Amino acid sequence: MSEPSSDFVIETEALCKRYGNKLALDDLDLRIPRGRIHAVVGANGAGKSTLFRILLGFLPQTSGQARILGRDSSALKPEDRGRIGFVNEEHTLPGWMTVGAVAAMQRHQYALWRQEAFDEVIGHYHVLMEQKVGQLSRGERAGFNLALALAQSPELLVLDEPTLGLDVVAKRAFLESLLYGNAAEQCTVIYCSHQMEEVERVADNLVILEHGRLVNMSAPDDFRARVSHWIADLPFKGPDPRSVPGLLEQQRLDGLQHYVVLDQGEAFGDFLRAAGARSMQSMPVSLDRAVNGFLAKNHAAPAREDVR
Amino acid sequence: MARPQALMIQIATGDPRPISKQIVDAVRMKIATAELAPGDQLPSVRGLAQQLTVNPNTVAKAYAELTGEGWLESRQGLGLYVATPRQRLSDAERERRLDDAIGRFVNDVIALDYPPGEVQARLELEFRALAPRRSA
Repeated sequence: MSEPSSDFVIETEALCKRYGNKLALDDLDLRIPRGRIHAVVGANGAGKSTLFRILLGFLPQTSGQARILGRDSSALKPEDRGRIGFVNEEHTLPGWMTVGAVAAMQRHQYALWRQEAFDEVIGHYHVLMEQKVGQLSRGERAGFNLALALAQSPELLVLDEPTLGLDVVAKRAFLESLLYGNAAEQCTVIYCSHQMEEVERVADNLVILEHGRLVNMSAPDDFRARVSHWIADLPFKGPDPRSVPGLLEQQRLDGLQHYVVLDQGEAFGDFLRAAGARSMQSMPVSLDRAVNGFLAKNHAAPAREDVR
Repeated sequence: MARPQALMIQIATGDPRPISKQIVDAVRMKIATAELAPGDQLPSVRGLAQQLTVNPNTVAKAYAELTGEGWLESRQGLGLYVATPRQRLSDAERERRLDDAIGRFVNDVIALDYPPGEVQARLELEFRALAPRRSA
């Protein structure tokens, strides 16, 4: 086994996971450096949940390597797990226990428990220690879960769709404790989310998975800058879509051809001109548009009857 | 003890401009219209990040750009302040940007079909409205 590395919180090498004939993770090489907030996005079925189940040692891989905080994921010891905080969208906690009892149990479990971190985060919510977990609202449960995870002083905090289904106020409280609290200052955060609005606000780094492979790892603004939107006045239907370089999305609106393209500079204008464009314009896109255009590109669609 | 100046700015997600760029533009506008005067202290990185609910690194990046361009200056251990104005652009660049801005303005306004004299009068008023804040 190789030496535990401290530079990367997550490292996979040629990681594969096969369910029957389907590859959920396809030769995935991923290295997430220590520190900051890393957003992981991907369409449903891109392999995010499988990846985290393997990394946390809940599921064996078919082949390849997976390490978390420098440890082999399949051989995590309780003290390794103590260094990792995990909050998922379900916020599954025993509903029949009181908030205080759950907190006491966790305090007992984790050697590095920081009561002040727990109090700081839970202070954002109107939660009483004698309340039953089952009586908490979804937002309160999310906050309680985050408080528990941060109180264990994790080096790595994995958040899987943590704000799904939360109202605006609960969402804001959640982001505030994550971004500005002292509790989260020392840890690396992995933030899985479909909500680009949040990703844009919180992420230092944008990791995009597609069909079990890594397709982007860069600052969100750098990714956005790779995508541009062109509008051209082209005769007839325009060029064959298969010949359009870097094409992510196209649409014909009011007789004008709209293209969202990846990694195309001014040369794309030359392409359109050669295709007979009478006029054209280009503009930058929002992060949301860039990511969604990118993910829509290879989205499976039923075979169309009319192409036969 | 002097407090930082309140910075009343808005950012929007889903905008083609990155959030850090939106902050840079907004601060430059405040300085250009003298809502922020030389010597005014900017909010802390953490404070502004919290006000806007964004990652503090995004604010730090915007502040670094503004400092690099000479709009802000840092005072050791005290924070960031609006710098004393000096001409930050070459004459050619200023000329080019003015041409650009006028071009865009004329394009927008021409379709509205106002007599040029009326448009000029309105512009004059807008500039006069900026003036008092400058001396305040």
